Amino acid sequence: MLAHMMAMESPLVEAESVEAMEFPDLADRFNVSGVPQTTINDGAGTVVGAAPEDYLLNEIQRALG
Amino acid sequence: MSILNESIRKQVRDLFDQQLKQPVGVLFFNTKNDCETCSDTQQLLEEVISLSDKLFLDVHDLEDEAELAQKFHIDKVPGIIFVGKDGDQLIDYGIRMLGIPSGHEFSTLIHDLILVSGRDSELEQKTRDELKKLTKPVHLQVFVTPT
Repeated sequence: MLAHMMAMESPLVEAESVEAMEFPDLADRFNVSGVPQTTINDGAGTVVGAAPEDYLLNEIQRALG
Repeated sequence: MSILNESIRKQVRDLFDQQLKQPVGVLFFNTKNDCETCSDTQQLLEEVISLSDKLFLDVHDLEDEAELAQKFHIDKVPGIIFVGKDGDQLIDYGIRMLGIPSGHEFSTLIHDLILVSGRDSELEQKTRDELKKLTKPVHLQVFVTPT
């Protein structure tokens, strides 16, 4: 999984997969309607669907402002 | 009764034999309180870990070992953390799974173990270079389902 690869690469990145059906409150909080959906820093950014490396990276950079 | 059948066990064992490099630890947080998938998750992890002597499993309790859970940023169960080992020191790479790794997530589990054993992200050089420029923490939560 790309998020896990980024965590492996950078000591500043922590990445968890969340089984949406087991944690419906968390999924609701971030309006998860399809999977995979990636939430960046508590909703500062969101990527819906499986994204290529540069796309997820851009979203992370944008979320960090 | 085992969760993984003999054919899956053989496939995963062969894959581990070919691809696991350095040792990988799995820290598993369980609970004595209500948790629908915790005991299946623990059994699944025990079965997977038994397929290679490069893997080890440490089972912990979310409530009894609250300090450890906090150290590894785990506040939900079942919670899985993949770590490396340097002497007695566990190395946390920030890779976690919340929920039972079944169905599609079973392959994520297997690939995560292989990823951590290689101690390399396998990302494109350009992505590595950009990630080196990060100055603030990034928390990614990837919502998934087993199907």
